[in-house]
Amino acid sequence: MDTLLKPALHIEKKSRRGYHITFAVIAAMLALSPFIIEGTSLVQFLGKCMCYAIVGIALDLIWGYTGMLSLGHGLWFCLGGYAMAMFLKLDGTNGKITDFMQTGGLTELPWFWKPFGSFPLTLILVILIPALFAGIVGYFVFRSRIKGVYFSIITQALTWAVYSLFMANSKFTGGNNGITDIASIFGKTKGSANRTNLLIIFFITLAVLVLVYLLATFLTGRKFGKLLIAIRDGENRTYFSGYSVNSYKNFIYAMSAVLAAIAGALFVNFNGSITPTQMTISYSITMVIWVAVGGRGTIIGAVIGAFFINLCEYNFSSGILVEAWQFIIGAIFCLTILLFKGGIVGIVRDNIPELIRRIKNRKNKTAKEAA
Amino acid sequence: MDQLVTTLFNGLSLSSIYLLVALGLSITFGQMGVINMAHGEFVMLGAYTTFCTQELFANFLPEQVGSIYYFAAIVLAFFVTFALGCLLEKLLISKLYGRKIDSLLATWGVSLILQQAVRTIFGAQGVNVNAPSFLKGGLAVKGVTFSYNRIFIIILVAFCLVMVWLLVNRSRYGSRMRATMQNRPMAQCMGINTKKIDCITFGIGSGLAGIAGCSVALLGSVDSTVGQNYIVYSFMTVVLGGAGNLFGTVIGAAIIGFSSIFVENYQSASIARAIVLLIIIIFLQFKPSGLFTVRSRVLDEGV
Amino acid sequence: MSFVGIELNRPMEVRTGKALDIKSVSVEFDGFKALTDVTVGVKRNTIHFFIGPNGAGKTTLLDIICAKTKPTSGTVHFYPAEGYEILLTGMKEYEIVNAGVGRKFQVPSVFTEISVYENMVLSLSGNKRIFASIFRKTSAEENDLIADVLDKVGLTEHANKKAGSLSHGQKQWLEIGMQLAARPKIIMLDEPAAGMGKPETFKTGELLQRIKDICTVIVVEHDMEFVKQVADNVTVLHEGKVLIEGNIDDVLADETVQKVYLGRGGD
Repeated sequence: MDTLLKPALHIEKKSRRGYHITFAVIAAMLALSPFIIEGTSLVQFLGKCMCYAIVGIALDLIWGYTGMLSLGHGLWFCLGGYAMAMFLKLDGTNGKITDFMQTGGLTELPWFWKPFGSFPLTLILVILIPALFAGIVGYFVFRSRIKGVYFSIITQALTWAVYSLFMANSKFTGGNNGITDIASIFGKTKGSANRTNLLIIFFITLAVLVLVYLLATFLTGRKFGKLLIAIRDGENRTYFSGYSVNSYKNFIYAMSAVLAAIAGALFVNFNGSITPTQMTISYSITMVIWVAVGGRGTIIGAVIGAFFINLCEYNFSSGILVEAWQFIIGAIFCLTILLFKGGIVGIVRDNIPELIRRIKNRKNKTAKEAA
Repeated sequence: MDQLVTTLFNGLSLSSIYLLVALGLSITFGQMGVINMAHGEFVMLGAYTTFCTQELFANFLPEQVGSIYYFAAIVLAFFVTFALGCLLEKLLISKLYGRKIDSLLATWGVSLILQQAVRTIFGAQGVNVNAPSFLKGGLAVKGVTFSYNRIFIIILVAFCLVMVWLLVNRSRYGSRMRATMQNRPMAQCMGINTKKIDCITFGIGSGLAGIAGCSVALLGSVDSTVGQNYIVYSFMTVVLGGAGNLFGTVIGAAIIGFSSIFVENYQSASIARAIVLLIIIIFLQFKPSGLFTVRSRVLDEGV
Repeated sequence: MSFVGIELNRPMEVRTGKALDIKSVSVEFDGFKALTDVTVGVKRNTIHFFIGPNGAGKTTLLDIICAKTKPTSGTVHFYPAEGYEILLTGMKEYEIVNAGVGRKFQVPSVFTEISVYENMVLSLSGNKRIFASIFRKTSAEENDLIADVLDKVGLTEHANKKAGSLSHGQKQWLEIGMQLAARPKIIMLDEPAAGMGKPETFKTGELLQRIKDICTVIVVEHDMEFVKQVADNVTVLHEGKVLIEGNIDDVLADETVQKVYLGRGGD
């Protein structure tokens, strides 16, 4: 073959500028919001939404990109949440045993509570516990090539199992009530006197959200991201392209678990408590709803979905609409899955270019007619 | 000895309840490959149908026929959930053919709607179904009491199991159903209305959930989330037994039911639950590969 | 002379000897014997065909080599170079691919949701670990290789299209291209000409003859025209057993082969 005449290859990079601009706008609006909004509760709520958005991104990485639907991300969210809540609780009691431990008949702090007396250790454990746990679970699940709906059922069962353990051992975990009455890392956030504390944790969360977004877009933009999509498209084909698919799956699953745990750890700062409710299967599937409605397979979709659904819920959470909300969310979910597989992002992406072209055409027409 | 007999009986009883809930799933999931997250809600609807029948009988019929209401409830529960199942299949599942994970999520949306509907109609507070008079009390044998309602459930499960087996393996409909599930285009060529088969099959699976609801209603208070308590175990039962294998489902239910009861003798119920689930997850490691390997020449089947 | 980035001027002695040695392989599926005591040697840098009627076990044999199916008994050895031996039996499928045995499947299986170019990038040989997939960039040489291969399989202008939007024939070509980009020592093709017209089939044949200079080619095929065009060696399988092995003329002349296979309307 003639090597002098190299065939030219023009490679287009998929433009994601529109997504980045959208995210930048969302982040800017969030940054401004505490200075516009008067009360505390809405700011706290927006803080929680940012945590939800992080979970959304975590789920999107494994479901939207890799095609593994986890029905138990509430588990990872809660592991992070409980770790942070344990630290904050001990911070509140000065390392003494808590009310629910006393009720349960304990006289001494259980050994596994002790590391949570230290803030750096807590931060490490927030990441380490889910990483190890998800890593081990993933190792066994992916090694035996459990996939598709079977993976979903296993994650669901796992979450159910841990949920039962947390509910049953109330002297260690607070049981049904969870860990309540906790302040944020920077002290109390309620009331105008503590607004600075709220703002600090709010902006830290915003920074984490931005970082997670950047991390996710970086990863998905690399060959790694294409591989995730390849695994979703054809897992066996990916094996036969020479990739150890189970390691890739395990890696992204553990990473997703860690991101969800970080979100959980931030969440308790705004929520003031953590309960096993956040670990239920239905809560975990609610997280999937965010991603589905926002648009799976795009990072920005997960962010938009988390904000959209939760803002809707926030507005419906009073008056007669409380009951209707369940109907609405159920219907939204069915319709999204049935008719708009790409979610909000998909609708915009599929229709905006067409719209722009029409407007341009009309302009051209009028210009021609004028001529 | 008494202890052991009680344990065995409780294990059998628990297994049979899981089996009854899983029986419907083994049809919808095992045969059709559809994960119906609203299956638990069909169980719940079956339980509420039982409640409604009881109230109707109590208000409009003389007291003497009171106990018969339960048999009427079983039939009614089957048909109510059968109809709803067919409706769900027509409106949602048939549109998502070949998108298993999506049909899982869509049916979850349906389950949210059904739960809220029941809360709106009957209130958030649970309702109670009174066991019919002939199921009150129990059979005492040498100091061990076998409660009648549990014995009844075991008989009911055995009956359903036989009916399902006959339906799938011995009836014309069954052979059509298996033909459709194994080779759809071929079945269509043979003149089988596969859409109708899909619809009816899903309906039967849902109808069995309704019957399961009747027996669940005997065991305690019924509220909008009652189905959720069974759904995780039922899915595990079907997965453990091997999807599409009736005998496997029976074995799966037995393993889960008996091991739960045995572990509960030493640990609390919640810890038992966790241990059993972990055992199943570990067991799936060594499962015969039949379930997860693809034997067709298509490298990756659609998920 | 170079072809898809590999120098072709190799010393002749490398072209002797076996590339693959299948030793008394048997497979049973639930009591059904798909393969019985199959022993075949595949010579280096040849085009080796497995032919036979449906159900003869051709695809199963490929499945055994690339570890999609485990053999009930028997072994498969692979000789990447003279004097080197690898036991393929027991290895994971991705390890086998990385050792240099690639396979194109019967049903076109490309990654439909990513572009043709990205499909090629994923197929490149080299470090396939997670870390590398995140931080390593596709090198200029690799891009040249991809450009070269895409040119060979006629997909240059479709490089940025989603692979799912290609026609059936183009997907076949893409998959062959993906195998070339991986630069395997052995390339296995399961019915590469299926669904292709005569001119395309002929073009495939030409391509195979160029490929065999850089690697060993194993083909499962029904189209006898195609076999006659390119085959160096042919193994006829029948009911899971080796019926005859040899060059195409000997095989065609054999009476039993005519009875079991060619007599059934094979052209």
